[in-house]
Amino acid sequence: MKSTKRSAVAIFAAAAIFATVGCTTASDVADSSASSAAGSGADTTAAWSIPDTDPVATITLLGLPDLVDGNMQPVLDAFAEAHPNITVVYQNVPFDALNAAIDAGVSAKNGTPDVYWADMPRIAALTARGYTTDLTEQFAPYSDAWDDASYKGASVGDTLQGVPIANSSQLLYYNKDLLDSAGVDYPSNDPNSRITWEDIKQNSKNLVADGTKNGIVFGQVDRYYQLQALPVSLGGSPGATGEGNLTPDITGDPWVTSMDFYGSLFAEGLSPRGITPEQNDQEFLDGNTAYYVQGPWFLPALNSSDINWGVALHPYFADGVPVTATGSWALAMNPFSQNKEATAIFMKWMSVDEGAGYIKYRPDAELPANKAGKDFYYAKDVFKSDEGDKAAKIIGFETGNTAVNRLSTVGYVEFEGIVNRAFADIRNGIDARTALEAASTELEAAWQTYK
Amino acid sequence: MTPKKRYKFARVKLTRAGVRNGLDGPAVARPRALFKSFSRERHDLIWATVFLLPAMVAILSTRVWPAVGAISSSLHTGFPGGVREPVFSWFDNYLRLFENPAFIEVIVRTIAFNLVINPLQIAIALVISLVMTRTIPFRGLWRTLVFIPATVPIVGSTIAWGIGLRWDGPVNAIISALGGTPQPFFTSADQALASIILVATWIGVGYWMLFLIAGIEAIPREYYEAAKIDRAGPIRTFFSITVPQLKRPLLFVLVACTVANFVLFVPIQLITNGGPQSSTALLMFDAYRTTFGYGSRNLGAAEVVILASIMLTFVALQFFLLREDREPKGGSK
Repeated sequence: MKSTKRSAVAIFAAAAIFATVGCTTASDVADSSASSAAGSGADTTAAWSIPDTDPVATITLLGLPDLVDGNMQPVLDAFAEAHPNITVVYQNVPFDALNAAIDAGVSAKNGTPDVYWADMPRIAALTARGYTTDLTEQFAPYSDAWDDASYKGASVGDTLQGVPIANSSQLLYYNKDLLDSAGVDYPSNDPNSRITWEDIKQNSKNLVADGTKNGIVFGQVDRYYQLQALPVSLGGSPGATGEGNLTPDITGDPWVTSMDFYGSLFAEGLSPRGITPEQNDQEFLDGNTAYYVQGPWFLPALNSSDINWGVALHPYFADGVPVTATGSWALAMNPFSQNKEATAIFMKWMSVDEGAGYIKYRPDAELPANKAGKDFYYAKDVFKSDEGDKAAKIIGFETGNTAVNRLSTVGYVEFEGIVNRAFADIRNGIDARTALEAASTELEAAWQTYK
Repeated sequence: MTPKKRYKFARVKLTRAGVRNGLDGPAVARPRALFKSFSRERHDLIWATVFLLPAMVAILSTRVWPAVGAISSSLHTGFPGGVREPVFSWFDNYLRLFENPAFIEVIVRTIAFNLVINPLQIAIALVISLVMTRTIPFRGLWRTLVFIPATVPIVGSTIAWGIGLRWDGPVNAIISALGGTPQPFFTSADQALASIILVATWIGVGYWMLFLIAGIEAIPREYYEAAKIDRAGPIRTFFSITVPQLKRPLLFVLVACTVANFVLFVPIQLITNGGPQSSTALLMFDAYRTTFGYGSRNLGAAEVVILASIMLTFVALQFFLLREDREPKGGSK
């Protein structure tokens, strides 16, 4: 009897351990079965074109904006009206879950999702993994539709691996009432008298002393997309150098100095420590934040709020040069898609037709990658106010003069994750040099795969 | 089955049946009894197979096969992502992992974490169980209250604790109100792992308590009465009667708790993401990040195999330390 019970416990333990191994590697098993299926069925290299007449098909789109809150529904409705034969099933995931969703979806090799939101700097990595379809041949006739930087951002070498649907820029929003109350001048819209980070910090101290909750807030706190502008303003590299940009370069003076500055904003109580990127917009809209760095997509929320807001050029370091973030989203096609032609029709409609359906029908002020789209983009309601008009001019200036692309490397997936964690550590009070050196070592190990 | 094998099988059965018949019955009855016994055993065997088959298929397909898959995957190296075919490369993944000082730190951290959290959780669960088996007012209510955290989904508890331990959260508000200095908890490399231990313990203790209460209540009262007559104090009674009698439930709780804590994932993924400064990067989380964050499935599989090996070692050690033959005389039934 005793031994029976002991065996039962032993079986339980073994089962639990097997469960651990089993659960975490379910994908491996899915892989092996999918690869045999892919070997016999889906041909990823079969020729396809963008047909003139719509096939009857249902395609799956993996995207970022929420249907309601992110105003994605009007876009899909407009597409359904233009192409009634093609049904789009929309899967919406939050930003932080997108990459794992793409990885799991495409590697299952069953063709779902057919098309997905791809961050431009990740396209090289996605292509190297075999997650994108070469679109050069089919979309070459439309390459003039997009601005050059966006076309390059969605390309790997000479091949087009995604269609750009948006571009981006960064602006400095400010709360006029809070600045007035502390007797702080409004930041300038004149490129010759652009505000410096040093002034932002000093003013923030005055503002916080005056009773403002947050002096300066980064909308994309701890995210490389927005913070890259700091080290690059001081002459730093985008984060890596050498062949294929696979040698970490984040421990030089520009990186350490600029990240020391970033950490000091939190250490001195000028920026809030525990607020996530998702909560930052609301902090500004609640009147708690004096300066706020964020993209043009924040404009609609501002316009419909009661906040007395203004907008100015993105800050730079006094010893450096003005630099702003850029680049945005593209749509990439799953190479295992069973509906490539219908998917291509959707992608073309989103990025090319009518000056980009995605820009035209989404009320949010996402900056277009499509040249023709810029006409109706700047005519959107959000730019009709005085400050909106200023924002439009700033966006035009920054995208043409100060925009710097993110690092282009097949190792971008690891890079972004590791560097973002270093930013978070610095925000939490870890010394910048220590955090960046640890991140550099971690990157070296992670990038071994590509060497 | 070949005829030869069947013959062998039958002969073994015959011999056994023969021995039994030789002892129990007259020699003349042998042939018929032999046939009957053989037929019944085969009949039992067939039905046993039929009943066990679904479970065996389930275990093989959902447990053993993925485990074999993980070991095989860990012996291959491939480009990150799941599209390109990996190549067999013996122990390259393991070598790469063990050459990486950060990974060694992850292993040391995981083992240290488990050496602290498992005894801690079980000790607390045991103390609570002892209190809850005494005659105290509203016993059912207290038991329910302690058990409730185990019924709340771990994601919910994690989010609640994430807010509770924030810089400007309620716990720091209480600390400040009592005149203390607010603590960084999850945002400090020195306190983050301890804060994770706090959350996991809060969730786990009530659950383990249930098994221990059942175990304590199953101990015959006579033992305690005998101890009383022998004038044993409460401490002596606890170590000489309660603990030895509780070995089986304790072994189960220890093994289950160890397994649960080795694969602890949710609080780390939701609150700290392995930080600050990798201070909460435990092996399970690291394997997840390698596999799904970076798409390095083969390397991730190697991490999982290492995790399972460490876990098995711990569990084997627990079986050894709590083996039954160490039970004191009179303790077994």
